[in-house]
Amino acid sequence: MSEKELVRFQIDGLEVEAEKGQMLLPVALEYGFEIPHLCYHEAVSPYGACRLCLVEVTKGGRTRMTTSCNYPVDAGIEVATATENVLRARRMILEMLLARAPHSETILTMARSAGIEETRFPIIDDADGCILCGLCERVCREVVGANAITFVNRGDKREMAPPFWDPMACIACGACVYVCPTDCIKMEEQGDERTIVRWKRTLKMQPCKSCGKPFAPQFQLNWIVDRVQLPKDFFELCPVCRKQKK
Amino acid sequence: MDKNLDRLNVYASRLISQKEYFVPGHRACQGCAEALALRLVAKALGRNNVIASATGCMEIVSSPLPLTSWNVPWIHVAFENAAAVASGIEAGLKVLMRKGRIPPKRINVMAMAGDGGTSDIGLQALSGAMERGHDFIYVCFDNEAYMNTGIQRSSSTPFGASTTTSPAGSVVPGQTTWKKNMPEIAVAHNIPYVATACSSYPFDLMEKVKKAAAIEGPAYIHILSVCPTGWRLPPQMAIHAGRLAVETGMFPLYEVEQGRYHLNIDLSELRPIEEYLKIQGRFRHLTPEMIEQIQQRVGEEYEKLKKKVRMTNEGQE
Repeated sequence: MSEKELVRFQIDGLEVEAEKGQMLLPVALEYGFEIPHLCYHEAVSPYGACRLCLVEVTKGGRTRMTTSCNYPVDAGIEVATATENVLRARRMILEMLLARAPHSETILTMARSAGIEETRFPIIDDADGCILCGLCERVCREVVGANAITFVNRGDKREMAPPFWDPMACIACGACVYVCPTDCIKMEEQGDERTIVRWKRTLKMQPCKSCGKPFAPQFQLNWIVDRVQLPKDFFELCPVCRKQKK
Repeated sequence: MDKNLDRLNVYASRLISQKEYFVPGHRACQGCAEALALRLVAKALGRNNVIASATGCMEIVSSPLPLTSWNVPWIHVAFENAAAVASGIEAGLKVLMRKGRIPPKRINVMAMAGDGGTSDIGLQALSGAMERGHDFIYVCFDNEAYMNTGIQRSSSTPFGASTTTSPAGSVVPGQTTWKKNMPEIAVAHNIPYVATACSSYPFDLMEKVKKAAAIEGPAYIHILSVCPTGWRLPPQMAIHAGRLAVETGMFPLYEVEQGRYHLNIDLSELRPIEEYLKIQGRFRHLTPEMIEQIQQRVGEEYEKLKKKVRMTNEGQE
């Protein structure tokens, strides 16, 4: 057995066990508690931006509300996932998110299941659905390693964008498209060009040497070849043809 | 689905959940793409899930007493009634929630079976469950014969394939009938969601399962699961064979949402069917004339499908 230190605590009265250093949200989800969340993803570090994963934590007799995605578990804490306070706070947050992303299917579903039909806040007219959760930025930095996007500006002008609005580092891999919780990042392919619409990045796709079909952006393949130091002709065949030639 | 997910496989694959609900240690053959498909389906559905499984390869390999590969509630039922049991589970959960015995939350109910358990033996139970409109997912793992009992032909076996009950010889060249179009039978029930998938396109498959789980009402997913043992194929070629099945047009990936067709992998040009047939031992005996015959049929079916896509999407764009 490994040398991991375990701590015991309570979630909604249930005695649970977790490794020290783990965050509260993944532990609770593992035990089957339903806590809504948007900006948390198990592959990247927690950030606490969407605020939906709020829970009440009682520690040393003092109760406070906190986001569970970036709260490290501790021995003896008591966690309540669905108190009146928590639900009220979540409803308020959902209304605010709804004003930012009124067309997002995910947020609409979440809001409906929390009993919210419409938001009391003015809906932003040119809302593009981005809720500034920063998940795309973390994925681009931590998983892909391209560092192509970041937070730009502050306060109410804050947005996700490539640094200086120049997407020169984007390899159009689409990891941000996949991970975006509100689906506000779109990818299009036309002919031999792939575009990540939100970052305004268009890259030419490499055609397969054997069947002629474009299969991945040239820029991305060169980037991978450089990083992993593969032979220059490593990616000249598409995945299907590569298998056949062997 | 406009995410075109099969193109994202380089980095997005690291973002898929690491939790497994169909765990290793099961007894599937080397290179079994059906076990892979099942693992992806279980992963996409997550932990709030009850599965009713008909007899078949996946039942045999995953539950040899006293072991199990399942991390979710799973029940093995007879060959013919996976769909009936799933509809019972769904109704039971509904009642328990209404009576307050279990807290109300979304629990997916899934029925799974092989192609024999779906298109031959379990068809009437499935038809009934779809007609009654239960909120469940039916997943058919189609490996194109009764592989578990020793490669006997089913109604899902493609034309020309040699199996132990349709052996290729000097008089009869393997299976003499065409593959039953099971997804189309499901579409004819007017259910909200029908899709075809293949484990060689994992993102596409998982996205379809998630979609099917989110939809209220019956959903049917037909998954082509390459069987290296029964298709007489080297185990390392299973994924490749699945991709070729899609790229030659033999098994097009499409979904039907509320009656509207959508091709997920829209190929402008199909690869010649020979590429798919020649790597498999079960088609080894085919003559050029028969390959031509299959090629023609595949082309026709693909055109028919494209026509349906155009017809059902008219005036919508």
